Amino acid sequence: MPFVARRLFAVVPTVLVVATITFLALQVIPGDIAVVMLGTDAPREDLARLRQEFGLDRPLAIRYLGWLSNLARGDLGTSVAYREPAGRLVAARLPVTISVAFAAMLVAVTVAVPLGVVAARHPWSPTDLGVLAGSQLGLAVPTFWLGILLLLWLAAATPIFPLQGYVGLTRDPLQWARHLVLPAVALGVERAAALARLVRASFLDELGRDYVRTARGKGLGDSTVARRHVLRNALIPVLTVAGLQLGYLLGGTIVVEQVFGLPGLGRLLLQGIYARDLVVVQASVITIAIMFALLNLAVDLLYAAVDPRITYD
Amino acid sequence: MRCGAPAGGGRVARTLGAVIAAAGLAVASLGGGAAAQTPRDRLVFALSGGPDTLDPQATSATLAFQVNKSLYDTLVEPDDEGKIVPGLAESWSVSADGLVWTFRLRSGVRFHHGKVLDAGDVKATLERILDPATRSPKRGDFGAIKTIEVVDPLTVRMTLSERFAPFLATLAHGWGAILPADLIARRHEFATRPVGTGPFVLAEWQRDSFVRLTRFEGYFIRGQPRLREVMIRFVPESAVKIAGLFSGEFDVVDMIHPLDLVRVRANPNVDVRPMVTSLVNVVAINNSRGALRDVRVRRALWHAIDRKLVLKTAYGDESIPTNVFMDVLSPYFVDIPDPYPYDPERARRLLAEAGHAAGLSLDLALPQPYTSHVEAGQIVQAMLGKVGISARPRVVEWGFWLSRVFRGGEYDLTVIGHTGKLDPDGRLAGFGDPAANYVKYENQKVADLILAGRLIADPALRKRIYAEALRMMTADASMVILGTPVLYMASQKAVRDFRQVYAIDTYDFRRTMR
Repeated sequence: MPFVARRLFAVVPTVLVVATITFLALQVIPGDIAVVMLGTDAPREDLARLRQEFGLDRPLAIRYLGWLSNLARGDLGTSVAYREPAGRLVAARLPVTISVAFAAMLVAVTVAVPLGVVAARHPWSPTDLGVLAGSQLGLAVPTFWLGILLLLWLAAATPIFPLQGYVGLTRDPLQWARHLVLPAVALGVERAAALARLVRASFLDELGRDYVRTARGKGLGDSTVARRHVLRNALIPVLTVAGLQLGYLLGGTIVVEQVFGLPGLGRLLLQGIYARDLVVVQASVITIAIMFALLNLAVDLLYAAVDPRITYD
Repeated sequence: MRCGAPAGGGRVARTLGAVIAAAGLAVASLGGGAAAQTPRDRLVFALSGGPDTLDPQATSATLAFQVNKSLYDTLVEPDDEGKIVPGLAESWSVSADGLVWTFRLRSGVRFHHGKVLDAGDVKATLERILDPATRSPKRGDFGAIKTIEVVDPLTVRMTLSERFAPFLATLAHGWGAILPADLIARRHEFATRPVGTGPFVLAEWQRDSFVRLTRFEGYFIRGQPRLREVMIRFVPESAVKIAGLFSGEFDVVDMIHPLDLVRVRANPNVDVRPMVTSLVNVVAINNSRGALRDVRVRRALWHAIDRKLVLKTAYGDESIPTNVFMDVLSPYFVDIPDPYPYDPERARRLLAEAGHAAGLSLDLALPQPYTSHVEAGQIVQAMLGKVGISARPRVVEWGFWLSRVFRGGEYDLTVIGHTGKLDPDGRLAGFGDPAANYVKYENQKVADLILAGRLIADPALRKRIYAEALRMMTADASMVILGTPVLYMASQKAVRDFRQVYAIDTYDFRRTMR
């Protein structure tokens, strides 16, 4: 079986395990959807009736099998709390989360790679120390704090950036970008700080290798060596980490979603947990798991593009 | 029941909320100044959270009713004093035995899709609520309805199976919103595509982000609504709400934290609007657990807690301390003197009399989404410590609170706010019968009085009955009453006639202008 097909096939058990853990976790936490939905006013009879209707009175194994058979048919179910198909709820949130995550990674990579390379080319110089200190600061500043600062400094004080909300890419690309800048910066700074350190370390590591000496011996200039040889090799570990980071970002950008009022997947998932709405939680988690798995596959395929020595059968 | 802050938002986000607010305080001076570009007939309202669904019969969330109020109408509605006045029904009558209610509808009222309102819509709506398949959390409130008849196109008659004095109030709440029969028959998805007779039509809803409402040109009240568009943005973070208010991006914001008031009041372009809520905030006592079964211990709790200080510190300086389980604005409120004034020494003596001279250890469950209740709980803990009661605070998530504390009775003390209802029965039903109230308060006489209040229609007599029940509940120290909190809203100075509807905590934009 070709590599890509094998990997795609492996996504299935991964998703199943993740979904099963989610299913069990929601059974363990106190409170069920009937209690949360009916609140404090409803009589106990209504509570019992609703539990029966949702099948909460049936044994765990039966409920699990029922849910699994629906899933196998591609039916994610209808949310009880929102009264909408879970697939539709997730589909509405996905573009927001993907946009924010990719924009944040774009910010992170755009900042981290040049800074990391500059720092590594002049190790322990004032520039290098500046980059190291800056990245330390970037790691230490909490995302929500930075988000609030950006909102108050840039969004509330100037008409350039909006204070809240999201506009879809297809609806108005310019507004889409305008709404993404601040969340992407708030979220991207911490990733940039981590990545810049990695780029620097990886670049320094490569600089000490034999092939660099050989290249220089051939008479190539420092920048040509750095650009054409060192950077490419140094980027492989960076790519791995960046891919994983993007996966985590797709899993939920809850803090920036909250601060910037973005209707993303993270908030949907959290509301689902609060409402004990298993359908919404499962649909969100499965989507995140699939995206994570596909992203890892994409990173693996990118290795081959960056390093011609790597091939997949 | 509801608390001082809306439901919704997330665990992580909630815990971050306080820190974010602090961050906002620290840097707010750097914000402000962006020019407001909003046209005069458009209002931008920052609300703390969004609705779960726009189907008025499928939810019990206050946040949903706050949006639905603009989309739907009810047969009757409350005025500013909580008195029931005509809504879609222009008049009504009730038979001498209190069982048959006849409503005369206004003529020429239209739904958003063009259909003219008739008695069939009222019948179909009420049958929809009563249908178990609708899963309406409020089905029980309409349980007294036996039959619904269409007398003529503009007259509908409802027969109850038993006398039920709160019936009119039930119809005035948000879940009594009238839907069109033709769309009900077609199983229309009101959850996302609301169609009512309300003053505004849904233009766009981006979940967890905003709802945009536009004026319904066919609204039955001439000249209303005055605004062309209302944009309701869901902004959970207090710092962001205040920044938007100062920059002019938001015209009105809800729920300003008492700590932020000084700063907001200092802004010359902004009005702070304190609104007395219909909440009664309490330190609930589980009357069935251990030492708390002894009325002396419960009275000692009243004496040990400086109720006024707790209320004003946690819920704002203008909050109103009370001594009975009824909000101050209710016509059923009774002003009785504080029977157990703050007196730690007396609390200690009462505890000693009850055999707890060596001290007492109690559990204190605090609902995590409601930071004000958590803060109040921390102050209560410190006060109880001074009389030898060791209260162990336990901050619990809302679903946990509902299932284990409220439904399960697994607590000694908890701090919570009880939402108002238009009729006192909504607040008091179940008290006195330990199986039917979450503080497990037992007093047959109180239970009998509350039942009598539900059956008797005469308002003066009802008032006397409820006054007696409220006095007895306080005498038994069934819970420590803190009082009625004030909610602080803020708006641009230009905003006029922004109205919060008494007891049902919704907003009415019909007469609002900028």
